[in-house]
Amino acid sequence: MGKATVIPFGPQHPVLPEPLHLDLVVEDEKVIEAIPQIGFVHRGLEKLVETKDYNQFIYVAERICGICAMGHSLGYAETVEALMGVEAPKRAQYLRVIWHELSRIHSHILWLGLAADAFGFESMFMHCWRLRERVLTLFEKTTGGRVILSVVCVGGVVRDIDDAQMADVLSVLEGITDEYTQIMNTLISDYSVKNRTVGVGYLSHEEAIALSMVGPFARASNVNYDVRNFGRGAYGDLSDFQPITATDGDCYGRVVVRCKEVLQSIDIIKELAAKIPAGDIAVPVKGSPADGAEACNVLEQPRGECYYYARGNGTKYLDRMRMRTPTSQNIAGMVKALEGCDFADVNMIVLTIDPCISCTER
Amino acid sequence: MNYSTEFKAIPFESLTQEVGERKAQGWRYVQTLAVNCDPGIDLIYSFMNMETGLLENLKVEKLEKGTHAPSISDLYLEAFVWENEIHDLFGINFDGIAIDFHGAFYALSTPEPMTVISPAQKEAKEKAAKIAAAKAAKEAKAKGESAPAAADDMEAKLAGMDPEKAAKVRAAMEAKAKKEKAAAEAAEAAALEEKLAGMDPEKAAKVRAAMEAKAKKAAAKKEEN
Repeated sequence: MGKATVIPFGPQHPVLPEPLHLDLVVEDEKVIEAIPQIGFVHRGLEKLVETKDYNQFIYVAERICGICAMGHSLGYAETVEALMGVEAPKRAQYLRVIWHELSRIHSHILWLGLAADAFGFESMFMHCWRLRERVLTLFEKTTGGRVILSVVCVGGVVRDIDDAQMADVLSVLEGITDEYTQIMNTLISDYSVKNRTVGVGYLSHEEAIALSMVGPFARASNVNYDVRNFGRGAYGDLSDFQPITATDGDCYGRVVVRCKEVLQSIDIIKELAAKIPAGDIAVPVKGSPADGAEACNVLEQPRGECYYYARGNGTKYLDRMRMRTPTSQNIAGMVKALEGCDFADVNMIVLTIDPCISCTER
Repeated sequence: MNYSTEFKAIPFESLTQEVGERKAQGWRYVQTLAVNCDPGIDLIYSFMNMETGLLENLKVEKLEKGTHAPSISDLYLEAFVWENEIHDLFGINFDGIAIDFHGAFYALSTPEPMTVISPAQKEAKEKAAKIAAAKAAKEAKAKGESAPAAADDMEAKLAGMDPEKAAKVRAAMEAKAKKEKAAAEAAEAAALEEKLAGMDPEKAAKVRAAMEAKAKKAAAKKEEN
């Protein structure tokens, strides 16, 4: 038996998109224990709700993370609407979901490129990010922003997508589908990719349930939970929505689940674009949340379930705004997946949980 | 399953039992958060029933900063993230956290920053309190204005009564009013005595002397009249 060594991983590491530190206790190339450390990008954004009124705070919420920007603005707006008893118009709900699913597509393609780069498949990384640029261009055409969209407001959305723009969105997605399918099939059928991912970082279904994991990380271990399945908002008008799951439980399963979710999101956008009703895109919201009023909300972000909580105090400033993000929920699962793995597989395992540390720390 | 939410207050003492029951029944742990209620800190534990879709939020209310709460990370390991965060930001101690960072989870320049509310929030709360107080005062004044109307009704009733009975009722009302006045004066005097007892003895003696002089002057004026 060898001597245990502690090897620091991060916060600066070529494979990490965001700063995370792991103390890896290693014995003969095997990781015995992984102790995480975060706090490098803690900005105290939840405290800002005391100085920004509930309309202004949406601009703070969407800046929690550049990848999940649309999701956080949507989750925050829905929570405040629940707090104040407001319902966004139907058309606004459809538009929100269309932008949110586009956000999921761009997030998963971004992640796919990083995953490819992590095991040295640089050309794949370039292809993925080239495809992602088309989604960012769609964002810019429809909202004015490529990353931070600022399109959701409490009560609805601030911009509409007219018929011509919607046709453009569908045309671009059609073009993306063909190229993306080629990339996806190349990746998931490649021998070297399977060599690096099959059997690596395995978590059983029971372990995933016990650790309350969420998102594609959990669905790759056959946990059939997706917030979109509740059928709230425009998701309720989908003809058939089934969460994408895999039984592998390893890094390969996580890659496959995310890859397929991109195609599922494209189908969702096509269906909702065909069904979108005419009407208003926002309702006026006046007054302040009642003193002592509280509400909670869940939303399926690209990385999994995100929980939002808000409490009012009779003024225009909320007493508390809380976002429990999916990556922070999955940290325990990541620590468990790292136990017993080879040291060389650490970066693959960390990347396949799709860590978003900006969201974790806020 | 259909999504629904619920908020339920639970006593602090039953926290471990409630969480244990949910674990045994297979509920999924969602999160733990803290709210600064100034004074007091609320803890909210959220669990989801994976069969019914109920998102239940258990509230433990008005804990003092520095309270020692039991960690639930032995039942739900993932809770260690929130327990460390709440300790660093709100100052609630959790005993027995599975991975305990001992206050170093986030690198903060200010200890427990979420327990101090911002000046903007304080100003907004004070303004809301003033508005509520003004509203209450207005309602009280409206009630007081309706008292003379009530007195007129009383006079009308007494005028319609038997004169002996009316005299007895008037006497009883006057005695009641006198008793209430005496009780109010006694309460005022007791409050004043308490205030004087808490003062510097020299200052208290000066205040007493000034009050006696005022009372003598008022009595003298009454005699003149």
